[in-house]
Amino acid sequence: MTPDLRCYGDDIQALAALVPDVDLRSPMDTHGWYRGEWQHIAEPLGFAQQLAGAPTAIPTTADRAAAMTLTGLAAFERSLHEARAGVTDLQARAQSTVLQQMTTAGHERGELWRVTADPTTLSTGACYAEGGGSLRAFYPDTAPGYFGEGWPGPPPRAESACGWTTPLVLHLGTFPWVYSSRLEAVGPGMRWTSPSAKPALEGLYAMGSLMEPAINLRQDARQVAAIFRHFVTHTAPLLARIPRFPASGAEAGRLYRRGSFLHVHQGSLHVAGLDGPRGRVAAPAYNYVLRRFACFFAIRRAALRALSTLPAEVQQLATTSVDPCMRQHAQEVARAG
Amino acid sequence: MRRGIWITLGATMGVGGALLLSRRASAASPASAPAGQDKPPPVIELAPLPQAADVSGDLSRNWGETPVDLRPLFTLMEETSRIVGSGRIFSVIASRESHFVVNAQNGDAAGEQGERDASARAYANNKDRNPPLRYGAQAAAFGSGGLFGALAPYFLWTGVPEVGAKAPLLGAPPELMFQPRAAAFAAAVYMQRLLKAYRIDDHADIKAGWASPTLLTSARGGTDYQNVRARFLADAKTLGIDLSDTTTIPPKLDASAWPGVPAVFAGLVGALPKELS
Repeated sequence: MTPDLRCYGDDIQALAALVPDVDLRSPMDTHGWYRGEWQHIAEPLGFAQQLAGAPTAIPTTADRAAAMTLTGLAAFERSLHEARAGVTDLQARAQSTVLQQMTTAGHERGELWRVTADPTTLSTGACYAEGGGSLRAFYPDTAPGYFGEGWPGPPPRAESACGWTTPLVLHLGTFPWVYSSRLEAVGPGMRWTSPSAKPALEGLYAMGSLMEPAINLRQDARQVAAIFRHFVTHTAPLLARIPRFPASGAEAGRLYRRGSFLHVHQGSLHVAGLDGPRGRVAAPAYNYVLRRFACFFAIRRAALRALSTLPAEVQQLATTSVDPCMRQHAQEVARAG
Repeated sequence: MRRGIWITLGATMGVGGALLLSRRASAASPASAPAGQDKPPPVIELAPLPQAADVSGDLSRNWGETPVDLRPLFTLMEETSRIVGSGRIFSVIASRESHFVVNAQNGDAAGEQGERDASARAYANNKDRNPPLRYGAQAAAFGSGGLFGALAPYFLWTGVPEVGAKAPLLGAPPELMFQPRAAAFAAAVYMQRLLKAYRIDDHADIKAGWASPTLLTSARGGTDYQNVRARFLADAKTLGIDLSDTTTIPPKLDASAWPGVPAVFAGLVGALPKELS
C-alpha cells in the first residue's frame, strides 16, 4: 500500500514525485536512493569528489539511511578541511554550542526543519566576544523572505549582550540555506567553519537526518508543508518568467526551467538566479531547496509505507503523532497488517 | 556596459591577438545571421560541462568562490594541457573576463560598436596571413566573448601557429565560443603559448600577456603592465584564490609537458560536426 500524501495537500503529493520513489523495505533500493540523493546534496555543496571516494557504507549501524548520513557527513568534513575558514574560532564555537542546543530542542518538539529560540535563553546568548565587543553568532533573519513572513517577535525576554531584538531562526531542513532572506549562490551555512570548529557539520547533520525515517517521522510535516507553500508562493511568479528548456536549439549560457528545476545550458548555475521583491534566489539555492522539500515528503511516504518494518518506537511515534495525517496513515498501515 | 580597452597585438602570436582589459561583458543575445548572410550558422552542441567525476584533481582546496560547477572544467583544462596549477589561474582570468558567464559578449549591444570595430580590425589585419575562416565575416562583426574573453577572429584561428591549416575551429562560427569547452580549448592553447614563448616571471605576468603580449616585451614595466598585474592580483584576492599556495599552484607554471593542440582539442572539445571540420 502506498500512502497518499494528499492529506497534506495535492501540491505535496506532486512535490514528493519530483524525486524518485524509494522502497525502504528493499536494502538495495534504499542504498541506491540515499546514495543518489547524497550526490544531489554533494554536487552543489562542492563535496562530490569526497563522497565518491568514500566507502559505500560506514559499518557502524545497520540502518542504511543513518549509515549514508554518516558517509555524507564524513565526506563533507573532509571537504571542510580544505575550505577557507568563513568565521573566527570564537564565532564557530559559539555557533556549535547554539546549534547543539537548538537541534536537541527542535528534535524533541518535532520542529527540526525550522528551529527557533529566544537567543537570550541559549548558552552565550547566541553571542561571542571579539575585539572587545559582543557580537551575534548568527544573522538575525527576521525580514519577510522566501520561507516566511518574518519574525517581528516576541522580543527576547532578557536583554541581549550582543543586540538580539528578535528570535533566532534557522531553517536547518534546507541547510546550508538557513536564512529565509539570503538565498545566495553559496548557502550561508557553508561559511560556518573555522580552524578549530566546524558548526557546518552540525547543520548538515540536521538536514541529512531529516531523510532518516525515524527523524523524518518525528518532524511535524505540517510545518514543512507551510514553509514549502510560502516558498512556492514567492518563487512561482519569478519562475514563470523563465523559458522552458526546448527540445532542441537551447542557447548556451541561458537559464531555463527543466522540469521543475532550473538549468543553465552549457553554463554555470551558480551565476544564475531569480530576482524578486524579496531578493535574489540563486539558481543553485532554488534547486537545492526544492529538492530538500521533495526528499522530505518522499521519505515521509516511504517511511509510512514501510512502517510495519521499522522499529517499534518509530511505529509508536507515528501512531501517537500530533499530525493527524500521519496518525491516520499509521492506523491504516496497522489495520492492513 | 562599460567600454573596455582594446590592445591589438602584433605578429608575435602568429595569428596576432587582441584581448580586453578591465572588461565586464554582458550576456549574449541569440545568434542571428549577419547582414548579407543567407542563414544563421549551425547550432553546435558540444558535450556538457565536465563534472567532478570527470577529473582527478582537487576541487575543494584553494578555489575560493569559484563556482563549484565550473571547477571541473578548469581542472580538466589543467589536466588536459598538463600545465600544473593552471586551473586556478584560469579561474581568476575568467572571473575578470566574463564573471563566469559563458555567453558573455562584448559587441552584441548597440553601444558596443568599438568592440565590433576591434574584431573587424583584427580580422582585416590578419586574414591574409592566416587560413581562411568559414565564418570570417561574422567573426569580424562579433566582438569578443566567452568565459575567457576571446576576440572572435583569434578564437577561430586558435592553433594556427601550432598546426597551421589543421587548426580545428577554422570552419566554426564565432558563437562556438559560448560553449565553455570550446572557450577552454582556446584559453589552454593561449596559456601554453604565453608560457613557452614569453618571459613569464610570475602568475600576474600571465594576465599581462593575456591582455597583450606586448606587455611582456616592449611595454613590460609600463603603466598598462602594472595596472593589469594589479587587477589580476586583486581579482585573485577577491575570488579567494591564494596565488602563493604552492601545494595547488607552483610558483611558476610550466608548459613543457604540453601534449599538442590536437590532443588538447580532443580532451576538451572532442570533435566538431563533420560539416564544420
